[in-house]
Amino acid sequence: MRESQTVSSQAERKLPPQLQQALNKGLMKRLPITFQPFTRQQIRDWSYLFPYERQSILSLLLYLANLTDAQLADLFREIVQLEEKMGVRSWQFSTEEQTILNASLLARSPYYQDWRKAVQKVFDRAEEHRGKEPRNDTEGKRLILMEIPARLPLEPSKVWRKWEGVGRPLKLQSVSPTAPLGLAEILIGSSQAREGSGLLEIMAEQPNVSFADTWIIDAGGNLVEAALKGIPTGASTPPAILISYPRLAEFRENFSHQINTMQKDLADADAVYARLRQTDVSPWCPPEVASEPVIREFLRSLYLSGNGALIYANSFVEWGVSEAFRRARPSVVVAQFGVRSKPKPFTSVAIFENQEQINPLPAVDDLPGSALDAQVMALYIWLAASRFDEYQRNTVCLCIAASLGEVYVVAPPEFSLLHESEPVTVDGLRDTVMQWIAANQRVAP
Amino acid sequence: MNLIPDAGSGFCPSDARESVDWRRRNLLRLIGVMLARMNFPKSAFAGGRQGTDGSGQRVIAVIFGGVRRAETFSTDGIENIPHLANDLFPQSLFFRDVRNEGVTAHFNAISSVLTGNWQHVDDWGKLPPTTPTLFEYFRKKFGAERSDTWVIASNKALTSQIGASSAANFGPPYGANVVFPKQLMVAAVSNALRTGRSRNMADRAKVEAELENMLEAGNYEGLGWTVSDGTNRLDPRVRGTVEEAITTFVRSGGPTSGDELTFLVSREVMRKFSPRLLVVIFSDVEVAHFGSYALHVAGIRTGDRLAYELWQEIQANPDYRGKTTMVVLPEFGRDPDGSTTNGFFNHRGNTDSTRSTWMLALGLGVGKPQVIERPIQHVDLCCTLAGLLGCPSVESQGKPLLELRV
Repeated sequence: MRESQTVSSQAERKLPPQLQQALNKGLMKRLPITFQPFTRQQIRDWSYLFPYERQSILSLLLYLANLTDAQLADLFREIVQLEEKMGVRSWQFSTEEQTILNASLLARSPYYQDWRKAVQKVFDRAEEHRGKEPRNDTEGKRLILMEIPARLPLEPSKVWRKWEGVGRPLKLQSVSPTAPLGLAEILIGSSQAREGSGLLEIMAEQPNVSFADTWIIDAGGNLVEAALKGIPTGASTPPAILISYPRLAEFRENFSHQINTMQKDLADADAVYARLRQTDVSPWCPPEVASEPVIREFLRSLYLSGNGALIYANSFVEWGVSEAFRRARPSVVVAQFGVRSKPKPFTSVAIFENQEQINPLPAVDDLPGSALDAQVMALYIWLAASRFDEYQRNTVCLCIAASLGEVYVVAPPEFSLLHESEPVTVDGLRDTVMQWIAANQRVAP
Repeated sequence: MNLIPDAGSGFCPSDARESVDWRRRNLLRLIGVMLARMNFPKSAFAGGRQGTDGSGQRVIAVIFGGVRRAETFSTDGIENIPHLANDLFPQSLFFRDVRNEGVTAHFNAISSVLTGNWQHVDDWGKLPPTTPTLFEYFRKKFGAERSDTWVIASNKALTSQIGASSAANFGPPYGANVVFPKQLMVAAVSNALRTGRSRNMADRAKVEAELENMLEAGNYEGLGWTVSDGTNRLDPRVRGTVEEAITTFVRSGGPTSGDELTFLVSREVMRKFSPRLLVVIFSDVEVAHFGSYALHVAGIRTGDRLAYELWQEIQANPDYRGKTTMVVLPEFGRDPDGSTTNGFFNHRGNTDSTRSTWMLALGLGVGKPQVIERPIQHVDLCCTLAGLLGCPSVESQGKPLLELRV
């Protein structure tokens, strides 16, 4: 059964003793200047890190702590030399946290690319060391399920072109564009909607599953609402991390409002960002987010990192899922894309303003534009996953193009539908996906 | 784990830049000051003035924001640039591999093009380029008026500092007029919002009034328009030029993006002042930072059309026809699909997708249309264009492009 440990109780954890000990022995002072803001921030935010990233930072810092002075000097030699050349000590460089000013100073240095390479080498060395440790987090079966909803018109000849043949399209039988339920919603399932266990129930039955193993990120509200309805009465824990773009409207608008006050000045930008990092966002969150500090902080960080998360629902979905991969390495991700409006005449230049509020012209859906956005974002989600070892071998990625009655399948050879030549029913697809996940005996990190 | 400041590390200065809200700069007070302070000698208002110094050539540089080869001069991308590919490419000198080897962010990229040296200054435009711009070389050598050199730009990452360097013996006295028409729109929207009149922005007649109010109120610093010296009055000729563009922009019923207004102001400036050196910077493509691929591609199509319309204006305008070299190039590309910097959203990668773009050269400086395969660099452009304008002595990290000459 799913561990009873809630997100909240995860957040209350203290630093592991061996890490605390390393810090007490002055680990931080042994690090190069440009390593410090990231490291300090991770330590400070420990309560808000996902299990995967805790394990990852712990492994890195313990590796560094166990090096002798000579070994550490050797590891960081190139970075330290570059810091000297860049003149980092003379910069107004925060060693406490990552700031926009820090990023700007680094990025405009002539040595920036060299510095990036040197940093990457250090991470590679640490990763190499980690690779020698026993790991069990790359073996489990994983699922990425995306849907481009039926409202979005797709061109059959172009829709999968950018995937460059990494998978293959499969026809779905008897899919009606006017069906009341989205395909992804059917696949999630719930005891009320369908017979048998849905994806969330199956995940809940997996052994040793972490709270961050299943994510639903929805440009609309129906998936999350369906999942919330499926929570048994009295259950304190949501069945997955549930994130819905429209349900976060108040959070988003308050953030946008603050960002709109920013002057064109790095110091002011950092001041606004610092304020936003401190603001209590709980009142702006729907219950499924407000009650879970780790998710709340994930969203805060998502909004502060840009990439359109505050502006367009499909960007929010893509960037949210990408960050989930990077930070949590979930086993199951369900993502649904949606529709954005066309930019309104004149006022759309003020991109952080809520167009619905500032311009009385009615919003007009941009269906072809949203379809193109979703097509590219779906590919980006797959590409984001495929950067990581955990998704290299045992991952099934399904992207449903509802308007075409088609699903694009990227999967290992043992996934039966990869070889299917005839159209499959939605139930057939659902059953195959459920079997894939149900067969999972992975042990979470 | 992400120490490197890329898309996944919690910074996105580009978003923050886009968020800049000029309301707080008391725009109404300053707009008039800015335009009034532009140095427009009476002689410059005559229109149709021929160059009496230098080569007599005119140069127009059209610079797009970040666009990848994949969405432009590639098999799949060509459909996004019908005018560049079909109308202009056949008559152009086409440089296939134009490299930005500097900082791939807006202010530094454009100032590197304009100075011929890789610039590493504050990318929010707080500091000017450290070596002289093309404007300064040209104006200093020939005593040209400020109104002979203009930067007209949509990009909000730029400031008036783009018009002149901090170099000794050069600097603002030799700088260009710099105007940001899109900032006028942003300011008008913000002002209407602040004063409870945002509903006006849904009515074209009222939008025009809002934009003109911004001009009339005399409050320009927040717009970033160039100031040289200070009176509080708006030169009627300049004001008329911008008003003309606004009227066309609002009443034509056409598209209303920032680049459309930048184009219309540029065209009016060409008609009223016929500058010998004009740099037009389009940036609708930068909506990519917010992740809409469709709107990014729409921005490319807009830039393609507007660059072509500028070329048509050159052909129709006797001050420019047969005397002008026009170059069209992006500031840089964008990051490749699947990169840790979130692909086309950003332009921070050290990859060919981000660093390698292209350039079309058209008009008088082009001997015969051809494709140049050898890689060239952004910093090669300043000394080349300076040569066309008759001032070959430029201290540049670049090398003149010998295929482009008077």
